[in-house]
Amino acid sequence: MGDNIYLPWIATITEVRPETPDTSTFVVAIDDSQLRESFTYLPGQFAELSIFGVGECPVGIASSPTWEGALEFCVRAVGTVTNAIHDLDVGDKLGVRGPLGNSWPTSEIEGKDLLFIGGGIGLPPLRSLIHYVLDNRERYGAVEIIYGARSPQDLVYKQELKQWEEQSDVDLYVTVDAGDGAWEGPVGFVPPFLREINPTPENKVAFTCGPPIMIKLVVEALEDMGYVDANIVTTLEMKMKCGVGKCGRCNIGDRYICRDGPVFSFEQLRQIPGALEA
Amino acid sequence: MGRKKIQKSDLSRWLDRIAQEHELIGPAEDDGVIRFQPVESSAEIAVEFGNSVIPPKSLFFPAAESLFSFHKRGKEIELEATEPLDRDRVVFGIRNCDVQSLSLLDHVFGQDLEDIYYQERRARTALIALACPTPPRSSCFCTTFGIDPLSSEGSDVLLTDVDDVYLVDVATEKGEGLVSLAEDLFPGLTDDDTRQLQPRPAEMKKVDISQLREKTEALWEDELWQKISLPCLGCGICTYVCPTCHCFDIVDVGSTLDGERYRCWDSCMYSDFALMASGENPRPTKRERIRNRYFHKFSTFASRHGTGHACVGCARCLVHCPGGVEITEVIKDILAKEGASG
Ligand SMILES: Cc1cc2nc3c(=O)[nH]c(=O)nc-3n(C[C@H](O)[C@H](O)[C@H](O)COP(=O)(O)OP(=O)(O)OC[C@H]3O[C@@H](n4cnc5c(N)ncnc54)[C@H](O)[C@@H]3O)c2cc1C
Ligand code: SF4
Ligand code: SF4
Ligand code: FES
Repeated sequence: MGDNIYLPWIATITEVRPETPDTSTFVVAIDDSQLRESFTYLPGQFAELSIFGVGECPVGIASSPTWEGALEFCVRAVGTVTNAIHDLDVGDKLGVRGPLGNSWPTSEIEGKDLLFIGGGIGLPPLRSLIHYVLDNRERYGAVEIIYGARSPQDLVYKQELKQWEEQSDVDLYVTVDAGDGAWEGPVGFVPPFLREINPTPENKVAFTCGPPIMIKLVVEALEDMGYVDANIVTTLEMKMKCGVGKCGRCNIGDRYICRDGPVFSFEQLRQIPGALEA
Repeated sequence: MGRKKIQKSDLSRWLDRIAQEHELIGPAEDDGVIRFQPVESSAEIAVEFGNSVIPPKSLFFPAAESLFSFHKRGKEIELEATEPLDRDRVVFGIRNCDVQSLSLLDHVFGQDLEDIYYQERRARTALIALACPTPPRSSCFCTTFGIDPLSSEGSDVLLTDVDDVYLVDVATEKGEGLVSLAEDLFPGLTDDDTRQLQPRPAEMKKVDISQLREKTEALWEDELWQKISLPCLGCGICTYVCPTCHCFDIVDVGSTLDGERYRCWDSCMYSDFALMASGENPRPTKRERIRNRYFHKFSTFASRHGTGHACVGCARCLVHCPGGVEITEVIKDILAKEGASG
C-alpha cells in the first residue's frame, strides 16, 4: 500500500471467468508496471475493490503469490459494489487497495499435513493457500481438500477441481447439498461429509472457510475427531469500510478483523469475548 | 518554557496578530450554539463559554471530508488526493478534555498505518488551550478519568483565567512561536505575581475507576446492557458529540465519471452499522450495540492501544442524549456490580 492508505491503485481487468450463475473470477493487473512487479502479498490477505462512483468492498485475493503479475478475485454479486464489479468486462478499470489484513500461516505449517474444508464461496480464500502449498510442494506434507456447495452448478473452480481430482498428491472430496440429474458424486452437507471421511488429526492443521453455520458445525466435528483449537484455522467476515483498523466497524472485542484478521485460529478466537457467539 | 501573563484586555490584540499569520479558529457563537470555527478576527470569538457541542476533533477529523476525486475519460481513470489543509492553523480556546481526546485519537490515526489527512492537520495546527472556569460545569467529570482541567499537557500554550490577567504557560516551541508574535504583550511574572496569581483549583467530584475495566470485562453477559439500552433511541448523538469516537463511513459522491470519495462520521449505535450484505448482523439489537460502545470506552480501546479509557469526561453525551442515557450512571452501575468476576 502507498503512503495514503485510502488511495487505491488503478488496475485493468484482463479476464473474466464465470464460475457459477452469480459468481465470477476477475483477473486484474495493476496498471503501473513498476507497482505490478513489486506488489507482494500473502495467501489469505484481501483487498478493497473500488468501483468509483459506487463504492468499495473487501474481497479476498484468490490467486497465489507464487504466480506472477495478475491478481485474481472471485466475486459473488450480492449488493451494490459486487454487482457493479459484475458489470465490468475485459479492458475495464477498477481500483485495488491492499494488500490488507494478516494471512494464513505459511511457515508455521511447514512439514505438516494440511486439511482444507471449504463451503460455497469459501473456497477462493483457501485456494490462494492451496496453490501456494502446491507451488512449494516439498515444504508441506499431504494435502486433503473437502469442498461442498448447494448444487453442482454452485461449485466454483470446476477446472481446478478436475485437475486436483487427477493430481496424485492431492486428495479431493466434493459434495453438494442437492444433486441434479448429472451429478454422480456424494450428496450431503459438508460437516457430516467430513465426519464420514474422518481425516486423522495426526500432524495436521485444518483450514476452514465458508458460511458461519458450516464453520460452526465443521469445528464441532473437528473437535470430536481430536483436533485441538490451535490447529483449526478460519477466516472471519465482518462488515468493513476502511480495511485499515481506523473506521471502527469490524471489531470483535479489541481485535479489528480487517487489521488483525481475517485469519484466526480457534485458540485465538476463544480468548475474544463474543467471537464465537453465532 | 515557563510562565508569563497577558492582560485580558490584550488578548484580542494577540489573537488578531496570530490571525494575520495563520488561520485562526476559535469558539464562536451561532444562534446560541458554540462551535469551533475559522474566524476573521478575535471579535468573533466567545471567550466566556462552557464548551462546544461538537467537539474540536472535527477540526482534525471532520464530519465529512473528501479523500480524493476521481475522473474517468474513456477507460482511463485518474485519482487526485484531496489536500487536507491550505494554511497552518491555530486553535484558540480548546479545553483540556478535548486536548486529551486528541492524544487518544493520535493512537488511532497516527499509528500503525498512518492516516495522512489527520496527521497533516495535527502537524499544522497549534493549540492554545483555555483552562476551564472554576468551578467547571456541574456535569463535567474529567478528573474521574485522571484529566486535570488546568494542565497544559498536550497543548502548545495554556491560558488560565486569574483576576484580570491570563497566566500563560508556554509548553512547546510552537507555543513559543505564537507568543513571540506579540512578545511585548507577555511580561514575565514578578515575585509578587507568582505569589498572588494562583489558579483556583478545580474542585470536582471524582469517582474511583481503578476497577472499571476489570468490572466491565466481567459483565459481557450481564443484563445491565439490555437495561441501559431500553431508553436508547439509536440516534447516534452520543457518538457524534463524543471527542474520542472515531467511527466513519466511506461514501462516493458524484457519478461514475466524475466525483469524490468522502469519509463521514458514522455511529456504532445505528442498526445497520455492522449489517452485512448477507443479512447477518453481529450486533443486531441495541443491547449489543450499547455494550459494544461501552466496551470500547472502558475496555477495548485501552487494551488495543495501551492507553487509558476512551472517555475524557466531557459530559457531552449525557447532556445531549434524548433518551437520558448517562455515562456517569453507567459507570456507577458497572462499579456497583459485586463480585461479577465470571
Ligand atoms: C475479509 C473479507 C473477504 C471477503 N472475500 C470475498 C470474496 O473473496 N468474494 C466475495 O464475493 N465476497 C467476499 N467478501 C464479502 C464481500 O465483502 C461482501 O459481499 C461485499 O462487501 C458486499 O458488498 P456490496 O456493496 O455488494 O453489498 P451491500 O450490501 O450493498 O454493501 C454495502 C457495503 O457494506 C460493506 N459490506 C456489506 N457486506 C459486507 C461483508 N459481508 N463483508 C464486508 N463488508 C461488507 C461493504 O463496504 C459494501 O460495499 C469478503 C468479506 C471480507 C470481510
Ligand atoms: S445519544 Fe442516547 S439515545 Fe442517542 S444513541 Fe446515544 S445513548 Fe442512544
Ligand atoms: S463523556 Fe461521553 S462524549 Fe465525553 S468523552 Fe466520555 S463518552 Fe465521549
Ligand atoms: S474496516 Fe475499518 S476498522 Fe476494520
